[in-house]
Amino acid sequence: MLQDIIKKHIDGTVDYTELRAQVNTKRGVSMLSGNLISNVKSEKSGVSARVYKNGVWGFAANGEYDGEHIKAVLEKAKSNADFLDRKAGKGKPPLINGIPAEKTAGRDFLDVPQKEYIDFAKELDEYIKNKYPALKSRAVICRSDSMEKLLYVSTGSISHAIMPRAYVYAVMTAEDKDGDAIELFKVVNGGAGYFTDYYTDPASCYEDIDKLYEEVMKKTEGIFPEAGICDCILDSSLAGILAHEAVGHTVEADLVMAGSVASHNLNKKVASDMVSLTDFANAALGAEAPLPLYVDDEGTACKDAEIIKDGVLVGYMNNRESAAHYGMEPQGNARAHEFSDEPLIRMRNTAILPGKSKLSDMIASIDDGYYLVNTQNGQADTTGEFMFGVTMGYEIKNGKLGRALRDTTISGVAFEMLKTVDMLSDEMHWDTSGYCGKKQLMPVAMGGPAIKCRVNIGGR
Amino acid sequence: MENIKKITQIALNELKTAGADHAQCVITKGVSDEINIDNGEISLMRSLFDDKIALKALKDSKKGVIGINKTDKASLEQAAKECVEAALASVEDDAVSIAEFTENRDFVTGISEPDRDRFFDRMMEYIGDIKADYPKIHLEQVVADYTYCESFTANTNGVEYGHNHGSYSVSAMFSAHEGEKTTSFNMCDVSFMGLDKKIIDLGMQRTLFEQCEKELDPISLDEKFVGRAVFAPICFSDLLGSAFGNFINDVTIIDKTSPWYFSLGTKVASGSLTVTAAPLDERIVGGERVTDDGYISENYDIIRDGYLKSFSLSEYAAKKTGMDRSKNSSGCFVVGNGTKKLGDIIKEIDKGILVCRFSGGSPAINGDFSGVAKNSFLIEDGRVASALSETMISGNLADMLKNISDVSEETVCDGSGVIPWVAVDGITVS
Repeated sequence: MLQDIIKKHIDGTVDYTELRAQVNTKRGVSMLSGNLISNVKSEKSGVSARVYKNGVWGFAANGEYDGEHIKAVLEKAKSNADFLDRKAGKGKPPLINGIPAEKTAGRDFLDVPQKEYIDFAKELDEYIKNKYPALKSRAVICRSDSMEKLLYVSTGSISHAIMPRAYVYAVMTAEDKDGDAIELFKVVNGGAGYFTDYYTDPASCYEDIDKLYEEVMKKTEGIFPEAGICDCILDSSLAGILAHEAVGHTVEADLVMAGSVASHNLNKKVASDMVSLTDFANAALGAEAPLPLYVDDEGTACKDAEIIKDGVLVGYMNNRESAAHYGMEPQGNARAHEFSDEPLIRMRNTAILPGKSKLSDMIASIDDGYYLVNTQNGQADTTGEFMFGVTMGYEIKNGKLGRALRDTTISGVAFEMLKTVDMLSDEMHWDTSGYCGKKQLMPVAMGGPAIKCRVNIGGR
Repeated sequence: MENIKKITQIALNELKTAGADHAQCVITKGVSDEINIDNGEISLMRSLFDDKIALKALKDSKKGVIGINKTDKASLEQAAKECVEAALASVEDDAVSIAEFTENRDFVTGISEPDRDRFFDRMMEYIGDIKADYPKIHLEQVVADYTYCESFTANTNGVEYGHNHGSYSVSAMFSAHEGEKTTSFNMCDVSFMGLDKKIIDLGMQRTLFEQCEKELDPISLDEKFVGRAVFAPICFSDLLGSAFGNFINDVTIIDKTSPWYFSLGTKVASGSLTVTAAPLDERIVGGERVTDDGYISENYDIIRDGYLKSFSLSEYAAKKTGMDRSKNSSGCFVVGNGTKKLGDIIKEIDKGILVCRFSGGSPAINGDFSGVAKNSFLIEDGRVASALSETMISGNLADMLKNISDVSEETVCDGSGVIPWVAVDGITVS
């Protein structure tokens, strides 16, 4: 646990000031066809300060965490703010402070020995090797990460929180009839918490491993989709990336200020009536949110940010500065990844809310289209145009699933595509394993139900 | 350099005391000053002081690696113990190793002191130049920094290499706006060692800004065709990186899933393609001098005149497969230019596409790719026509390299690579 040696240094600051000590840890082992090609543990820690002055910010960070360096980063952050104010002063008023937040969250850091990761990877690899000898290649990756933050803000906010995550990835490569390598991966269990919370018995992963093998073998006989706009069912495992990439980024207020498509659509219809989307803070749909956040890195108490309600765009995600600009309430979306990073507007637990349809009815409603199951990566655009890679899917013919698909990409324009949504399933799937990239990385959760819509699919 | 050399020796001693048979230590001490621009205005100045220490321990042919950012003796002692523990928990593998001793050298590149005031003035000038010359361009975010790094690599075989380097870099994300019309964002990065030139004149920024302003009225393609695509330098470099990631790097060579596994010495691309991994090229800013494995970096050909000359393998992968390790681990590509002007290449195309940015799913191992052609233009009747929106391209990376029809005479250098425009047949556009 981080020792609190920063408290006394926040007293006496004149300008708005954040002082944050932080530790990020990573553990990872990668086993490639029985070879342990990576066996790494890392820890990065330090202290940073950010100072606001008349519309500009000064920031400084140092990897050393002691009284001398805490004082130094405070002075350097202030001198940087003074430098910018002198050179490019904007004369803006002080930030609105709001109600100070105070919260301690998360369990003490649990340093699971590297041997646990290695032994788990070896056993799972052995299972795959023995059961599926026809595979051309296999990989098992066990990893975990954690962020521990201790924050003091001159407004009076105090927070000490730990957010750990742990995951196992299985990757299988098989050959198609032409000898080409066909690959598929799956995140097997995992989520917020420590490695041993999820992974003590490799047998708990066998069902997912068997399913992965079944899918990769179907994919070896897969076809390329017919390129163009088509009816699709996006499985609930893809809904999250749609919420995150297609909508989430365009409503981050810094990108709204940059002229994103959301800048001229507030309070306008952007989706069909059945679509609602929320960036949840620490509770969602009657349960704790997958990656709960209670106080952000500007010391704002976290609340849900309602983005789309019944098809209407009703809000943005803000930090203190953008909230003041738009006359909105900040809801705790300012987040920094490492001690050396300044807080940026980031998503937390972003999800499209479930509907009432059954997935089987949704598939049955399509004569000619695709059911898209797994995704790998995605990218957003300020125009609302989005894309994401699809690594597993099936054609739908006359309401029934057909042949598997090869890797493809889908794209669309968010606020046009969301108007084509005419069915949402009653199930909900969260994905917490990824990082969002926006100058800095950030662990985020994303979720939603299966979605019937029209998108542009890449193919041959 | 003497200071971090001493720290590496302390770390190596701690690793040996903890029980390592062989050990390596790489230390980087970095100092950065960064200026941020948000929505066209200076917003933040950031100063960072940080160290990185990477320790590697080999024990009974088993490997452990640990990374920390503290250099005090107590932290190094603890990290060394954990590193050896990680090695002991690992799997025995005869391919794990540390670099052999050849000679010890120190390298100094770039500039050791920034001119902070002049750099700031250059950034203010940059904002002004864009407003004046490209009034529709909106700078969404710019990160401009000066970073100075001292790094030192040492191991228990007696290897000792130092490299000190300082340089500037600017990374810009921008779009064009007119009323409610907005283009897709585009990006450019440049690294440089002096402040004698205007920042707007570095790399291909002026071309990108000019193109971006023309993207305000894009058309949707209402047809599908298979034709010639001209890839802009940054975009071609990205696709080349994806191809090499799938075809010549450690993982797909070790597990023999690379489609090029048996292709060393054979023709894998058009004869007009030559790609060198060249961190020592004088146009590369602060290129790698010491490899990740602890050897002195040298340039090497990956593809010469279409023939595959080398894989890109670490020493581990080389020992695992019985092949040669690569002479650098930099990823700095220098692609040989052609003899035809870009304008003449475009003149020969009746119908095609100029692809300036690719936003797609990760290509499959066999090279199949599909994605959105961003910031891109239709080519019709030998000239660049309308900007395109919602347009997908697809193909196969291995086929793409074979189907190169032209490589431009012009190249773009952004400090991390030197790349021409490259025309390719057989790309599906939809």
